Amino acid sequence: MSLPPIDEAELHRMLARAGLTLTPEQVRSILPGAAIVRRMIERVNAPLPREAEPAVIFEAGTFTAEKWLCPRS
Amino acid sequence: MSEILTIAEASRRIAARKLSPVELAKSHLDRIKRLDPALNAFLLVTEERALADAKAAEARQMSGGLRGPLDGIPIAHKDIYNTAGIRTTAHSRLLEHNVPARDAHTVRKWADAGTVLLGKLATHEFAFGGPSFDVPWPPARNPWNREHFTAGSSSGTGAAVAAGMILGGTGSDTGGSIRGPAALCGIAGIKPTYGLSSRAGILPLAFTLDHAGPMAWTAEDCALLLQGMAGHDPEDPASVNRPVPDFTADIGKSAKGLRIGVVRHFFETDHPVSAATKAGIDQAMDFFKKEGAEVRDVKLSPAMDWHAVGYLIMITEAFTLHAPWLRERFADYGELFHDRVALAATVSGPDLAQAVRRRRVLCQEMADAMADLDILVSASQPGEAPRIAEVPKWANMEKPSFTMPCNVTGFPAISICTGFGEGGLPVSMQLAGKPFTEPMLFRAAHAYETAMPWRAKRPKL
Repeated sequence: MSLPPIDEAELHRMLARAGLTLTPEQVRSILPGAAIVRRMIERVNAPLPREAEPAVIFEAGTFTAEKWLCPRS
Repeated sequence: MSEILTIAEASRRIAARKLSPVELAKSHLDRIKRLDPALNAFLLVTEERALADAKAAEARQMSGGLRGPLDGIPIAHKDIYNTAGIRTTAHSRLLEHNVPARDAHTVRKWADAGTVLLGKLATHEFAFGGPSFDVPWPPARNPWNREHFTAGSSSGTGAAVAAGMILGGTGSDTGGSIRGPAALCGIAGIKPTYGLSSRAGILPLAFTLDHAGPMAWTAEDCALLLQGMAGHDPEDPASVNRPVPDFTADIGKSAKGLRIGVVRHFFETDHPVSAATKAGIDQAMDFFKKEGAEVRDVKLSPAMDWHAVGYLIMITEAFTLHAPWLRERFADYGELFHDRVALAATVSGPDLAQAVRRRRVLCQEMADAMADLDILVSASQPGEAPRIAEVPKWANMEKPSFTMPCNVTGFPAISICTGFGEGGLPVSMQLAGKPFTEPMLFRAAHAYETAMPWRAKRPKL
């Protein structure tokens, strides 16, 4: 998955949608970080193995904190 | 009193009535007065409270009623731990005058164990935003060289322990905030298993990644402090209801028989570390082999996979907590905090869901990798502390963290000093275990620390 680079106008729109009304200077201050986060987003959106499907890994009736830590124990 | 003791040693002397808790507290208060103006580790010194706590401990000492190994021990809390009637600021303008009505669960437990509270310690703003120079208090400085960074966010605890101003203190760890300052300040710090110690009453950063844990000069001291923190608390929904083990039970046993996996690609290719950091890990592995441990390399997903998952979850959870203030009082935060957390606005719902799904896969991967291992070894930090004025704004994002994998999985991990590198600054390694195997981690860390000369060297102050 390859995302288009984020520009100042797009970042401004995203921040506004999240309720943050910022000055152009404030938006510019955040922009370099947005490029790094975009690369992280690309990375987590890489294809997952079949075992990652929630129906396979999530057992509602038996879910406990320890199960979370050691899913197959 | 000029000698800086460990908690274990101070505790033995107090129990033997060879050390007065009041004299111990006074010596540490004097040390704080002398050293802290240059180190900025404390946001608040609670001298009156410290002396009252110390007098109460001394009365118990004289009557034979000591409460245990933490009775009379001088400590301080990271300033995101609520302290009843004592200002708790998160190092932020937003909570500059905040005085909680209740202690955090862990604060109360340490107080009940007889600790002597010396004050509240610097943090990165809300445990995330440092080093900041635009918040009401300056950032803590590294006692090994005050021009250098402490790492964060438990920066004040790292500096105060390394400088001998306290014998131990609290930290919190969402992506490495205990292990990072422990590493750069040359001390020990453990992020316990998720759910082992309560977060109730600690200002949160990201609720599925936050952990509360202790920092001290040695692994043994961390074990003593964790004993006083761990345990079920119904007020923390993640708190695990299971018996608390004796964390010192295996202290003093050798590392013979331990099975150790080294995640070498993390620190050799994914994010190459300094020569001294790598040499420290290699020497430590030689030590463990000579002790009779089995040591082999292990391969996991690239460090950046773990980092990306953890970081995206961290900023989105932090945004949900801070959204009302970010919308109304954006400029009251320091730049580093508000710029980093605002980035959550660029993470969509499906992106977050993908990060959460991948987290499950990574949890399974670490559990599988450790099926026939006791310990995973990596670096704690990429190298010696950088100069504080030269820490890049996006430093904690661009390159993968070595500590984040254990926040993603909840597995316990301890950082310990492995010597000194460029400029005489400390270097470190990280030992991670399977869930609830803290006694084994303390055993391995203590075996290493007592065989090496590093714990005898303190910063020259």
